[in-house]
Amino acid sequence: MGKRVASRRFLPPDPRAEEPYRLTPKLALRVGLLGMLAIAVFATLFLRLWSLQILNGEQLLRAAQNNQLRDVRVQAPRGPILDRNGQKLVTNVPGLAVQVRITDLPKRRGLRLREIRALARLVQVPVSQLGNTLRRHRNDPLTPVKVKENVTPGLAFYVQERAEDFPGVQIVRSYLRYYPHRELAAHVLGYVSEISGAQLKALGKQGYRGGDTIGQTGIESRYDQYLRGAPGLAQLRVDSLGRPIGQVTTKTPPHSGNAVRLTLDVKVQKAAEDALRYGIDRAQHSGCSGCWYSNGGAIVALDPRDGSIRALASLPTYRPSLYVGRVRRSALDAAGLTPRSARSMNYPALDRAIQAAYPPGSTFKPVTALAAMQEHILQPFESLPCTGTYVKNGQTFKNWDPFVNEAMTLPTALARSCDTYFYQVGYRFYGMPADRGPRLQAWASRFGFGHTTGVDLGSESPGLLPTPDWRKKTFTKKTDPGHWQIDRLWKPGDSIQLAIGQKDLLVTPMQMARFYALIANGGKLVTPHLLEDVEQPSSNGEPGRVVPTAPPPAPEPTNIDAQALAVVREGLYEATHSALGTSAAIFGSFPVPISGKTGTAEKSIDPGDGYPRNFNQSWWCGYGPSDSPDLVVCALIENGGHGGDAAAPAALKVFEAFFGKQATQTGPIHSD
Amino acid sequence: MVDHYVSNARAAARARRREAGDVASFVRRLDWLLIGAVGGVVGYGLWAIEGITRHDIAGDQSYYLTRQIVFVLVGSVGLLAAMLVDPEFYRTRWRLIFGGTASVIALVLLTGPIRGSKRWLDLGFFRFQPSEFGKVLFVLALAGFLAERSRRLSEVRTTLTAVGLASIPIFLVFLQPDFGSALVYCAAIAAVLFVAGTPWSHIGALTAGALGIAVLVLGVLPGIGMPLLKKYQEDRLTGFLHPDSDPGGTTYNITQSKNAIGSGQFHGRGVDNATQTTLNFLPEHHTDFVFASLAEERGFVGTAFLLMLYLLVVWRGLRIVALARDSFSAIVAGGLVFALLFQVFVNVGMTMGIAPITGIPLPFVSVGGSSMIANLFAVGLLLSIQVRSRRR
Repeated sequence: MGKRVASRRFLPPDPRAEEPYRLTPKLALRVGLLGMLAIAVFATLFLRLWSLQILNGEQLLRAAQNNQLRDVRVQAPRGPILDRNGQKLVTNVPGLAVQVRITDLPKRRGLRLREIRALARLVQVPVSQLGNTLRRHRNDPLTPVKVKENVTPGLAFYVQERAEDFPGVQIVRSYLRYYPHRELAAHVLGYVSEISGAQLKALGKQGYRGGDTIGQTGIESRYDQYLRGAPGLAQLRVDSLGRPIGQVTTKTPPHSGNAVRLTLDVKVQKAAEDALRYGIDRAQHSGCSGCWYSNGGAIVALDPRDGSIRALASLPTYRPSLYVGRVRRSALDAAGLTPRSARSMNYPALDRAIQAAYPPGSTFKPVTALAAMQEHILQPFESLPCTGTYVKNGQTFKNWDPFVNEAMTLPTALARSCDTYFYQVGYRFYGMPADRGPRLQAWASRFGFGHTTGVDLGSESPGLLPTPDWRKKTFTKKTDPGHWQIDRLWKPGDSIQLAIGQKDLLVTPMQMARFYALIANGGKLVTPHLLEDVEQPSSNGEPGRVVPTAPPPAPEPTNIDAQALAVVREGLYEATHSALGTSAAIFGSFPVPISGKTGTAEKSIDPGDGYPRNFNQSWWCGYGPSDSPDLVVCALIENGGHGGDAAAPAALKVFEAFFGKQATQTGPIHSD
Repeated sequence: MVDHYVSNARAAARARRREAGDVASFVRRLDWLLIGAVGGVVGYGLWAIEGITRHDIAGDQSYYLTRQIVFVLVGSVGLLAAMLVDPEFYRTRWRLIFGGTASVIALVLLTGPIRGSKRWLDLGFFRFQPSEFGKVLFVLALAGFLAERSRRLSEVRTTLTAVGLASIPIFLVFLQPDFGSALVYCAAIAAVLFVAGTPWSHIGALTAGALGIAVLVLGVLPGIGMPLLKKYQEDRLTGFLHPDSDPGGTTYNITQSKNAIGSGQFHGRGVDNATQTTLNFLPEHHTDFVFASLAEERGFVGTAFLLMLYLLVVWRGLRIVALARDSFSAIVAGGLVFALLFQVFVNVGMTMGIAPITGIPLPFVSVGGSSMIANLFAVGLLLSIQVRSRRR
């Protein structure tokens, strides 16, 4: 074994001899220092441990618990909407919805996009639309975004099984509105959809949160506070990837929305909508000038004693179910519910009973009659000539029936709807002292015209009650540069035409129905309303406890002379029963005595060919039974021709359904 | 050759006889307190791992526990072997040890990366992490070098050579990248120099140099756009200084770790209620963050007990430094004990937010074969030194 040369070794050892080793004081000091360092290290660790576990333990425990608990809002089933007999107009069907929690989506852009694409394919929503939906909720990342409603259980199961591939996607129970009667009373009921940003801003204080459903129109919107219920709060345990673990534990259970019972009667409502279709059909086949364009209308039926609405129909209409689940724009387009297509479909979203104003025509004559008698410028049994034309200041005003020529008292003039009779009354109003103001308009206003009726249905048109002041304000140099100096004046013709409900006057069918209710109930102005009561949901099928709600305003007395009212009622009865009454051919044979008035109002309309011209709006308003009325019906058929052609037969259908009796025969019609 | 063989065989036989007669006294001389403390840490660690990993692998509650027990058994064999070998064996072969360790660590760099770093040698049945064994072998090698130069320790050249030698494995480990092991190597070289008796002036200069490099790497170089560390490494190192800066990103681990430790409170939440661990909010809870999981499940009682056991091990270790038979043994013992102390502090401190995140496992507790076996081997070395120490 050859010894290696020391100098050739890598880093050779020290050639000097080693001393026997002993613990030097130097080493002892260093070991001691190491020991002190060790003690310092352990002291530090102990103190820190004490601080974390004992001093801050509770706080950190809470942090750890919050880590794994997610608050989940549990949607409450929305309350049903019932008719007055408890028939369901709107209910819920439970469904499954796909939600996305934005915060739990993958952080990496590529992965996130891939997941969104996969999800879009799965739920069959265009990727761009899904992306937009998520982007819209970017500012509110904590609220889950509903990307698809009403998915099949199979799809829900698929997503849940592959939760690993879809972080942040969850399946939740949701309730969808269901309309057992399809489009029946669509305008009254309205629809629900997810709360919009603007609504959230306005209603955030009332407990609404992003992602809630809220009534957008009609009863759904008006009584949302009762229908929505209270969402519950549940907690979900999740792991560090946001994947749910175990069961959802309910913290506060959701409270189902209350049932809203309406004054509507499904039977009458159905009859009213069928009657409108019938009236429109009659108009289209009547051969009258312009009636081919008839494609809309409204019927209001209410109880004259308290204003409870029994039917509120408007055509054209739509299916509210179009707004259920994922709303498809193309479907809304096809139904005329978007601004683009609304015109071609004649505005189906418009509730013509309250949101559209029409010239009332002769149905307004009772207003003139009552006002004139109250102002003592007309004696009820004073005979005035009813002629084919009426000439005033060189201007000729025509009667609808050019061949008439006899003297009439007020009831007859109403029954036969003599225009020239009322022209004279209108001119008497014009002749009244100016300092007393426009008296006809004052009475009309007292009868509810020119302002909203207060029906519990959201946006309502006030109509237009023209006054000298209105003329002055409306026609200025700016708005009417050619003729403003003339147009701003209230002229005799204005009073004369107002007396028969023509020219500038505009009313809604609801205002008209309210006025006829006033005639029917002896002079009280009712507030039309739809809410019967609000009931708490009950599990056993019995009617639930009634929730206190504000009662509808009590009928307001208008202090009309009972005598004057009796004269008008007589006129309206004769209109439906005397041989020459304008709708006697329709109502004369009906077993229940009905009183009412036809109306034919000229309205300038562009039917779509670019040439606006006058079309007749067909009206009929009345009540029955004549002596103690239970129901007021006011029907309007757009472009329906004469009142007796379309509106009166339609109104009869409603009475038939309400009283459960049929008219035996209808004769030839001769009406305005 | 025959002569040589005969003389060797005779010597061996003599030695065997002596050993056989001395077995009883050998066993009696062993530091049973140290053995008990290490056994306590290992056993306690196994119990902790059992609870911590019970919900990790669905269907196999004891997956990690079984593996860890195997590692402990292998490590115990290593401990016994190390205990029987005279330290003199290593002292004379420090060059071989140094070269071998550096080569194997260099070899790792040639293999494919696993989870972004090249730390492991895949032996098929076992994934072997040389840098863990390097911690022990590295100390042995440097101790051998310094023991040879115990007379020339005051020369600057000796210190510089030692640092130069040490920098080779440190650099290799740093390249893997395994920043935690590099730090442990630095700590070990510091302890080795310190125990060997390097003059205070040299130690002071080295400390200043180390601080200068730290400032340069963490502060100046990134500032002038020449970062040496990867961004995440830098964030991890400095993250604990401003814990609320980025709770979703860099400091996520620390936040979750502190929540886990705090939520254990005094008595712990138990295995089934330890949501931070079972629901995976706490990452790496069976390896780097095992202490936080232990704290969550067993509370202050459990963690304090573990720290007391560590303190006991360190105390008995330092006692061996003082009793060591020769300079080499003392340096080895000092380096090993200090490396252990350093690892415990950095790991536990990391989970509590008072030390940087470096990925150093908790000795004897974290699941991992290389670490467990290397640490038990180191304990065997300590016992080998202790049993041959001056005081009987």
